[in-house]
Amino acid sequence: MLYARTQRREVTLDAVWRHEELIEALMESRDLLPVRFGTLVSEERAAARAVAERAPQLAASLERVRGAVELAVRAHPREPDRRGYRPGESGREYMSAKARRVEAARLVHEPLALVARDSVVQQGPELLRAAYLVDRGAVESFVSMVQRVQRAHAELDVLCTGPWPPYSFAEGGVSS
Amino acid sequence: MRDKVLARPLELDPFSGDRARLENALSRRVNADPESVERGLAQLVLTIVELLRQIMERQALRRIDGGSLSEEQVERLGQTFMELDRRMEELTQEFGLTAEDLNLDLGPLGRLL
Repeated sequence: MLYARTQRREVTLDAVWRHEELIEALMESRDLLPVRFGTLVSEERAAARAVAERAPQLAASLERVRGAVELAVRAHPREPDRRGYRPGESGREYMSAKARRVEAARLVHEPLALVARDSVVQQGPELLRAAYLVDRGAVESFVSMVQRVQRAHAELDVLCTGPWPPYSFAEGGVSS
Repeated sequence: MRDKVLARPLELDPFSGDRARLENALSRRVNADPESVERGLAQLVLTIVELLRQIMERQALRRIDGGSLSEEQVERLGQTFMELDRRMEELTQEFGLTAEDLNLDLGPLGRLL
């Protein structure tokens, strides 16, 4: 368990990045369950208690992410975003555009999910926003798969970032 | 911080909206004002409407796919969803919310949408 005494309660972009850098430095040499930035407990013992109370869930979550990192993938259609309606569009055209988006997102997500240990599709303004739990040793083959998907879908822009701490897979985390 | 981009398209612009969103989220947490109560309520209501909209839309797409609807019915469904889409966009903008705000983190149960 790692925590720090609160010095300032200011939430700034810099503080968020420092938190992230620290977690990522730790992540290089060990597996960990990240806790959301700014999680506060009243004192040291409360922190220990919060962890002890959730020990079984935390242990299970740690097993789930052991040996893996999180990679994020986002995809946008290259044509002007068709998320919303277009003036003068017919109802049928609108529904077909929706159906095409659902299908395009599936074609990006499915091959990537096969290479990942676990995956979660998230809400966002993109065609697809998803997080993948990938074995440390499989990051390279995952990225090759992203590149293959990108080559197969010239109509999309696909961005892959990471490795991130496995925030999206650290369920049962401590909340204050 | 190391470069985190593992695979990227030529054009990164479409992905650049996140920084502004992060900054907005941070300032919103710090500057609690009377308006934020109203916005919190709007966010909750709109989240539920968005959840219903997505469920109905998925259902509609499945029915269209199944071929059980007439041309006229498909057109009417499309018009209805288009209008709902337009209204949701107006309302989220009016309350300074983004698509991502219309989601609830249910803790161990995961995200709503």
